[in-house]
Amino acid sequence: MNQYVNKKFSNQYKATIGADFLTKEVQVDDRTVTMQIWDTAGQERFQSLGVAFYRGADCCVLVFDVTAPNTFKSLDSWRDEFLIQASPREPENFPFVLLGNKVDLEPRAISTKKAQQWCQTKNNIPYFETSAKEALNVEQAFKSIARNALSQQAQAVDLYNEFPDQIKLTNTAKSNNSGDSCAC
Amino acid sequence: MDYELPTEFDIIIVGTGIVESIVSAAASRIGKTVLHIDSQDYYGGFWASFNLEQIDKLCERNQNANVDISADVQLNEGERLIQIGNNNFDLKNTSQKWSIPEKLELKDVSENVEGDNCDVTETEADNGTGTEEVWTQEKLMRESRKFNIDIAPKIQFARGDFVELLISSNIARYSEYRSVSRVLTWLNGELEVVPCSRSDVFSNPKVSVIEKRMLMKLLGACMDSEENEFKDYKIKTFHTYLNDKRLTDNVIHYVLYAIAMSTVDTPCSEGVENIKRFLNSLGRFGKTPFLYSMYGSGELSQAFCRLSAVFGGVYALNQNLGGFVFDAENKFKGLVCGKQQVIKASHLVMGIEKSPEEFVKSVEVSYISRGIFITNGSVKGSEKEHLTLLFYPLKGGRELCNVIELGTLTGTCPKGIYIVHMFTKQINTPKEDLEECVSKLFQSEKEDSDVKDARPQVLWSFYYSAPDTNTANLRKDVPENAFLCPGPDCDLDIDYSIKKAKEIFNSMYPDVEFLPRAPDPEEIIIGDGSDEQIPKK
Repeated sequence: MNQYVNKKFSNQYKATIGADFLTKEVQVDDRTVTMQIWDTAGQERFQSLGVAFYRGADCCVLVFDVTAPNTFKSLDSWRDEFLIQASPREPENFPFVLLGNKVDLEPRAISTKKAQQWCQTKNNIPYFETSAKEALNVEQAFKSIARNALSQQAQAVDLYNEFPDQIKLTNTAKSNNSGDSCAC
Repeated sequence: MDYELPTEFDIIIVGTGIVESIVSAAASRIGKTVLHIDSQDYYGGFWASFNLEQIDKLCERNQNANVDISADVQLNEGERLIQIGNNNFDLKNTSQKWSIPEKLELKDVSENVEGDNCDVTETEADNGTGTEEVWTQEKLMRESRKFNIDIAPKIQFARGDFVELLISSNIARYSEYRSVSRVLTWLNGELEVVPCSRSDVFSNPKVSVIEKRMLMKLLGACMDSEENEFKDYKIKTFHTYLNDKRLTDNVIHYVLYAIAMSTVDTPCSEGVENIKRFLNSLGRFGKTPFLYSMYGSGELSQAFCRLSAVFGGVYALNQNLGGFVFDAENKFKGLVCGKQQVIKASHLVMGIEKSPEEFVKSVEVSYISRGIFITNGSVKGSEKEHLTLLFYPLKGGRELCNVIELGTLTGTCPKGIYIVHMFTKQINTPKEDLEECVSKLFQSEKEDSDVKDARPQVLWSFYYSAPDTNTANLRKDVPENAFLCPGPDCDLDIDYSIKKAKEIFNSMYPDVEFLPRAPDPEEIIIGDGSDEQIPKK
């Protein structure tokens, strides 16, 4: 995630501590898309991602480590978990993207073919092999993510507007109906 | 996912209620290592929101599920193992009731198009603009996941401590809110909209020109609170003050029961303070001073937990907890997780329901009468969907009954459905305490075919008594390095809970800033091999 947004890669291997969410603008077919990429902040380690984490997601990126077979094995349960928690309107068509990360490392445990097969059984999820460390394929992968999220919106026009007039708390926020200030 | 919990932390927090979660965020934020753990598999404890299936099981639910007392650990001399959890703060008098059939009866199907029962009702709903949607238990259960039903519903003041804390700490980015769109009151046997803002007052057809002037002048006097204005009312009630002002009954009603959220017994100074709080929160986010968190009040604790996790807090729900280890001087040493692992920490913070019995044996509990209703329409129908707050003055000198009505736009229920929360200080049973309000707002259950009742029908109801430990002393009987967090109180907002969390934090870490602003992600520079996150100023 950091490689993608900041073009930096942190060598320290401290799981994902410190990662929160990052914002990035990408060009997809003449459109500028602002992506917010949310990290699990380590809360997934003991299956403790709360339902609040999944709210309003337009795309889900699953990442496994091509040198660690157990990370590949748990993809199914993560996909299921997402669909249960996020409960999207059309679970079958919800956009997922799969990234096989750390392709710069040896020995490789999960072959490209094996990963692609898994993707085929899940309604053809796009698959990318990446190296966050060497910035390999990261840009392409996130473009695909943006495109998929957009297609989801195109299909359900009111997706974005399911809950209009939500308020983000900021110091400067004013209601649309201002003029209604203090009664005195 | 083959992770193992580390064996030592600065602080272990058991339970994921609001107070615990705020302490967790504050401690992680200043670099303390935090283990935040819960025996339940969901966040929030008594502050959680549940879907319809989960709430169905709530009555059987034990807040201390997954507490395993058969731990097998080696203790040092003088150390003892104490069981986690107690039953002193369980929900009581729970009663759940469906008022609609489980499925549609067969005769209804034959009159309609082919298909199973459920399709029939949906077809009707789509075509019929005039016909009412027919709800069955089966149909609602199928939409179970669209429900987020608060066990402790909360409304925030737009300029209250909660909102200010969320903004100043930068935790606001983890949650979203909706403005309460109208405040109602029960006046002369009807629901009336309370004029909140200046423009509301002037556009309200039910308030005469003279009353408008009276109201504005009175609110102005309360905001300025000049000493002379209230000097004769130090020991008098706010109601007496209003009466002496020679206002009309309507104006007194709006001010006393709605804007001041008071009763005839409220002292004058308190009434004035309440008015100030109300008016101060106006005009910030939306038309009323109030906010509700999208997807339910259960999201609140998760926002704080997220910040804690981002700053390194370790999260583990659904854990088997074997007990607390205390030493000979009654000092907390560690938590037994599973049967054998002892995790050490210098401080223990726990939700009151997770406390060993011996620390809470003298804690006094009062109760809140709560009712939750799923209905098929708003208590006061209108063209657009409203998020409604109503303070209902109960007869007999009782406290107000708080009523919150949530529609589908809050992300807490499916389309066509409303959730109504009612709560007040408990006097009798929840059902008896809320009966007056229920009978005024909803259709009576005894059908009267002659008169068409325009009020919403209750499809499902759930009554319970919830413990309130707001006034209890939570330091007595508790070891020095252990702290108890109170559960939800009867207040509308959670400002008191924030105060409690801050107290606990300051007891552990005096003179350290409580939840300073967290950097935005783009302010964090990730260096090569460097451990620190350096916020750019």
